[in-house]
Amino acid sequence: MMELQAILMAAGGGSRMMDLTYNTPKPLLPVGNKPLIWYPLNLLERVGFEEVIVITTRDVQKMISTDPRMKLDVKMKLDVVCIQEEADMGTADALRHIQQKIKTDVLVVSCDLITDVALHEVVDLFRAHNATLSMLMSKAHEFTETVPGQKGKKKNGEQRDFVGVDGTGKRLLYMANEADLDQGLVIRKSIMKKHPRMHIKTGLVDAHLYCLKKSVVDFLADNKSISSIRGELVPYLVRKQFSKSTNSPKIKDEADQNLKGKDVSVNPEIQIWFRDEKLLQLSQERSCWNDHRGDMGEAYHGGRLRCYVHIMEEGMCYRVNTLAAYIEANRLAPKLFEEHAIHPSAVISERYLIGADSIIGASCQIADKTSIKRSTIGMSAVVREKVKVTNSIIMHGVTIEEGCNIQGSVICSGAVISRGADIKYCLVGSGQRIDPEAVRTNEVIVGTDQLMEI
Amino acid sequence: MSSRGTKQKKGNVTNEQEEEDQPLQAVLIADSFNRRFFPISKDQPRALLPLANVAMIDYTLEFLTSTGVQETFVFCCWMSNKIKDHLLNSKWCRPTSPNVVHIITSDLYRSLGDVLRDVDAKTLVRNDFILVYGDVVSNIDVSQALQEHRHRRKVDKNISVMTMVFKESSPGHKSRCEEDDVIVAMDSKSKRVLHYQKTQGLKKLQFPMNIFQHGSDEFEIRHDLLDCHISICSPQVAELFTDNFDYQTRNDFVRGILVNEEILGNQIHLYVTNEGYGARVSNLQMYDSVSSDLVRRWVYPLTPEANFTDQRGQGCAHSRHNVYRGAGVSLGHGSQMEENVLIGRDTSIGANCHISNSIIGNYCTIGDNVVLDRAYIWNNVHISNKVKIHQSVVCDGVLVKEAVLLNKQCVLAYNVVIGPNMSLPEGTVVSMHHPEEEEDDDDDEFLSDDQVVGNSKDKTKQKAFNPAEVGSEGKGYIWKASLDEAEDEELAQCIWGLVLNPDPDSDSESEASDGSQDMGSRSVSPEMDDVKVFQLEVLGTLQRGEEENIGCDNLFFRLSCSHQLTCTVCLPPLGGQLLKKWSPVFKNYIKRAQDHLDCLSAVEELFLEQETHQTAMVKVLMNMYQLEILEEDAILKWFSAGATTDKSRQLRKNQGLQKFIQWLKEAEDESSEEGE
Repeated sequence: MMELQAILMAAGGGSRMMDLTYNTPKPLLPVGNKPLIWYPLNLLERVGFEEVIVITTRDVQKMISTDPRMKLDVKMKLDVVCIQEEADMGTADALRHIQQKIKTDVLVVSCDLITDVALHEVVDLFRAHNATLSMLMSKAHEFTETVPGQKGKKKNGEQRDFVGVDGTGKRLLYMANEADLDQGLVIRKSIMKKHPRMHIKTGLVDAHLYCLKKSVVDFLADNKSISSIRGELVPYLVRKQFSKSTNSPKIKDEADQNLKGKDVSVNPEIQIWFRDEKLLQLSQERSCWNDHRGDMGEAYHGGRLRCYVHIMEEGMCYRVNTLAAYIEANRLAPKLFEEHAIHPSAVISERYLIGADSIIGASCQIADKTSIKRSTIGMSAVVREKVKVTNSIIMHGVTIEEGCNIQGSVICSGAVISRGADIKYCLVGSGQRIDPEAVRTNEVIVGTDQLMEI
Repeated sequence: MSSRGTKQKKGNVTNEQEEEDQPLQAVLIADSFNRRFFPISKDQPRALLPLANVAMIDYTLEFLTSTGVQETFVFCCWMSNKIKDHLLNSKWCRPTSPNVVHIITSDLYRSLGDVLRDVDAKTLVRNDFILVYGDVVSNIDVSQALQEHRHRRKVDKNISVMTMVFKESSPGHKSRCEEDDVIVAMDSKSKRVLHYQKTQGLKKLQFPMNIFQHGSDEFEIRHDLLDCHISICSPQVAELFTDNFDYQTRNDFVRGILVNEEILGNQIHLYVTNEGYGARVSNLQMYDSVSSDLVRRWVYPLTPEANFTDQRGQGCAHSRHNVYRGAGVSLGHGSQMEENVLIGRDTSIGANCHISNSIIGNYCTIGDNVVLDRAYIWNNVHISNKVKIHQSVVCDGVLVKEAVLLNKQCVLAYNVVIGPNMSLPEGTVVSMHHPEEEEDDDDDEFLSDDQVVGNSKDKTKQKAFNPAEVGSEGKGYIWKASLDEAEDEELAQCIWGLVLNPDPDSDSESEASDGSQDMGSRSVSPEMDDVKVFQLEVLGTLQRGEEENIGCDNLFFRLSCSHQLTCTVCLPPLGGQLLKKWSPVFKNYIKRAQDHLDCLSAVEELFLEQETHQTAMVKVLMNMYQLEILEEDAILKWFSAGATTDKSRQLRKNQGLQKFIQWLKEAEDESSEEGE
C-alpha cells in the first residue's frame, strides 16, 4: 500500500517569463540540457516513488511523447492527465479534477522546483504529527547573475510573505502577504497563549511542495470556491487550525451525525478534520507525550488540524518561475547530477577550450578555436570557429557562426547568430536571426508577433 | 587614517578602563506609587513587608549586591522614615558593605518618572545603571546582560538606551503576573524590542507594519516572557525622562522610545534568561507565588535558612520537605508540618495542628487544632484554638479568636481582632482603617504632612465595629477599595490581583473572518436598553442628516421605525430652526391624535428640563402649528389635559403660552364660524 500519491503540477504557463516560454512550455524549458520537469520527477524517483500523476496540458504531453529532445529519463510510471489550457484551472482545481484517482494522502509538487532537499524531512513532519498539511520552504537566494533586459539592479517593491512558525520552527502558525496587512499584523491572543514564541520570517520562498491529507482533497471536491493551493487553500488551513469549530469535540460529534445521515452538504467545512483514526486518538489520549511546554493542556491543545513546514536552512531550492531564477538554476543545476559534461555524441574538434562547468548536449558540433566557459550548449547546436561563449545558455538547435562573442545571454532554440556578432546580456528569442557583426547589449530580442502577444 | 584609527582604539581602551573602574550603580525605587497593597501598606511601606520573614527590600539589595553593584541610590517617598530606619539598621549600612547605599527621600515623588528626573537633576549616575523597584526578588546574574548592553552601546554609538531583563516562562506559569502580561515583538538577531504591549484585556494583538521594515527578515513575537522589572539603563534614560515630562512609568518610557524610534534614534533591547529567578511582588497573588517559590528554594541562594541579611536570631534550620524552623520554636504534641513550612523564631505551636505550605513569622502563638494552608502569618500574631486559615495573609499583631475560619484570599491587616466563632467569606479584607477615612485624606499617600492630619481625623471619626463583620469581640472594619476613585482603575481590582482563576479558555473565541457564529459575544455583551439604543440611533441619524443636508425623503427611509418613539425621542435635541427644514419628517411621523399628544409632552419635557428657555416654548409651538405639524385641537387638548406636576403647572402659567392658547381658541372659533 502506497503511503502517498505523488502529483506533479505541470500545467502552468510560465506567465512571469513569457520571453522564454513563447515557444517552449515551461515544463519543457531546458535546464542543464534537461527539461525542467525532469528535476521534480527525479526528486520523486530518488526517494522511491514508482508512480506519479502528472497534470499537464495537451501540448506538453504531445511534445514529451514525440520530441526526442524532450525524452524524460525516468523509470517511474507516469500517469499523465491533461487539462484544457483554456479552462484557466488553478492548482486546487486540478486537484479536484483528479479526485477520483486519489486513494491516499498526496504529495503535490510543482514542475518548476529544483531542489536537493531531503524529502523525508517534509514527509516525516507529516507523519509524526499526523498533520493535515506539511510543506517545504527555503531561505530566499539572492540572484547574482545579470538578468538580460532588466534595467537597474533589483525590483525592491515586491511584497513579502510573513510566515509565522512556533518555537521549534516546524509548526506553521501564521501566513499572510504584506499586501493584505494594511491594518498591521494581527494575531489572536489565544494563539500566542498556545504558542508563546512565534518566529515571523519574511525572507522565505515557498517551494510549492505540499503533503496533504486525503480529506483535504475531498474537502476541495465539496468546496468549489477554492481554486489555488498556495493562494487560498494553504492560508485557509493555516487559519483554520485555531478556529473553534475545528477543535471543539461537540461540533465534531454533530459532524459525525451529519455524515451518518448522509447530510454531507450541510457543512462542507468540517469534513477535513474528523477523520482521525479512532485508535490514534485513543493513543494520544493515553499518552503523556506533549508538544508544548508551559501549561498542562493536552497535546496540540486538542487541535485536530495541524500545519507544519520544513524550512531549508541550506542546500539548493529554486523555483524556476522568472528569468533570473532560470539563469541561476542553469548555473547550478549541473551540480545536481553526475554525468559527463560533454555528451558522447557531440562532434568536437580537437582544438577547443571548454570549462569543466559547461555542458555540451548530444550531437553538437563544436568547431576549432572555440572557448566555452560556464555555459550550457543544447542538443544539436552548431558552434563555428573562433566563437567565445561565456556564462550563457544556448538552447537546442542554435547556430552560432564564426567569430561571435556571446556573454551572459540566453539564446532560445533555433536562433541563428550570424558571423561576428557581439551579444552581451541579451535574451534572443526562439528562431531569431541576429545580423552579422551586430553589437547588442542588455536587450530582449524577440519576434514581432511575440511582442504583440505580450 | 591608520594613525587616527589606532588613536581611537587607544581612546576606546582608556574609556573601557574608565568604565570598568567606575563602580556599577543602581537606582532602587522603594515605592510602588500605587495602592495595590492597601490597606496593608497604609501602616507599612510595601518594600518593608515581610516575604518569608525578610523585608522585600532586602531581597532587592541582596540581588543588586550579588550582581556586582557597588553604589545604590534608594529613593523613598511613602513612609520614607520607616525605610530609612530599616536600612540604617541593616547590614547594608555597615562600613563593611560592598554596596554603598545612599538613601534619598522626598515627598514629591509621585512616579518613577519623578525619581528619574531627580536622578538627572542631581546627576547621580555617571554610567550605565540598573533600575529596579524595591519589591523585586531575583537571583539573575545580570552581568551577562550588562556586558551585552555595553557592547551594543560601544558598537552603535549610544543608540541603545535600555536593556530590559526578562525571564522565559510560558503562559500558565504561576509566577507570571497577569497584570504584567506583555507581548514583545523583537528582532531575532539584534534582540531589539520592536513592539511592547500589555496584553491584559486584549483579544487580538496588532503589530504595526513599520516595525517589520528594518531590513531584517526574522522577527519573534514572544508571549513567554516574564517581566522581571529589572532594567539596565544608560545615563540618557534619566535625561530622556527630563526631556519628556509626561513619562510617568517605565511603560510610558518604553512606548515613547519605540514610537519615536525613527525620530530620536533610541532603541531598547532585551535580555532573556532561562535560568535564574526574577519577579516583582506587585500584588498579593504574586506575594503568594513568590513566597512559595522562596520556600521551595527556587531563588537559591536566597533561601530562608541562608540568613543573608545577617541579623542575629534570624537563622533557621532546614529539614526535609522544605520545613524550616527558627530558633526557639516549640511544637505541640501531634502537630504536623507537612511540607514547605517556614516558622520564625520563638513561635509556639499547640497540639494537633496541621500546617502546610505556610509561612509563620516571629513571636507568634498558635493554639491547638489549628489548620493552616497557604497561610502567610507575620509577626506577633496570636491564633487561638480550632482556627482554619486557607490562602490568606495575616499581618502583624493580629488576634484571631477561637474557631474562626478564613476562607481563601482573606487579608487581616495590622492589629485586627477577629472572632470568635465565625467564618470570613472569600476575599474579605479587614483593617483597622475605616474605608471612608481614605476619601478624606486622598493625598496622604504622597504628602506625609497630611498624614498626621489624617491620623488625628481617624481618632475623631472612630466608628463602632460591626460585630457581624468581625465577630463579637472583633476589632476592625471591612475594607472596600473605593470604586469611584478616578485615580486609576487598578484600585477597583482585587487586592489579590486581577485574575484569580486562569483566563476562561480563550478557545471560545471564534474567528470572525471564518464567518462562523460567535455565540459567546452575543450573550456576553450587556443588553443595552432597547429604547436607549433606538434613541441613540435616531439621534445619530438626525445629526447626520443635519450635517450632510440629506433630503427629507431619505430621512423617511432611515427613520422607518415606530412613530411614537420617533417623535418623543427626536424632538428634544432639535432647535427651532431645524423645524422648518424637517417639517415633512415630522408630518410623516406625527399623524394620529395620540402622536400629537406624545409630541407635545415631549416638548413639555424638554422645556421643563431647560427652565431658562421656557419663554421659547411658545415660539416652538407656534412654529409647529404654522408648519402644520401640530393641530390646534391637539394643542388645546394637551393644554386642557392639565398638569401632573407642580413644575408643569408653572409652565402652563407662562404668559406667552397663555396668549398663544387664547389666540388658538379664537382662531378656532373663527374658522368654525367661517365653515358654517
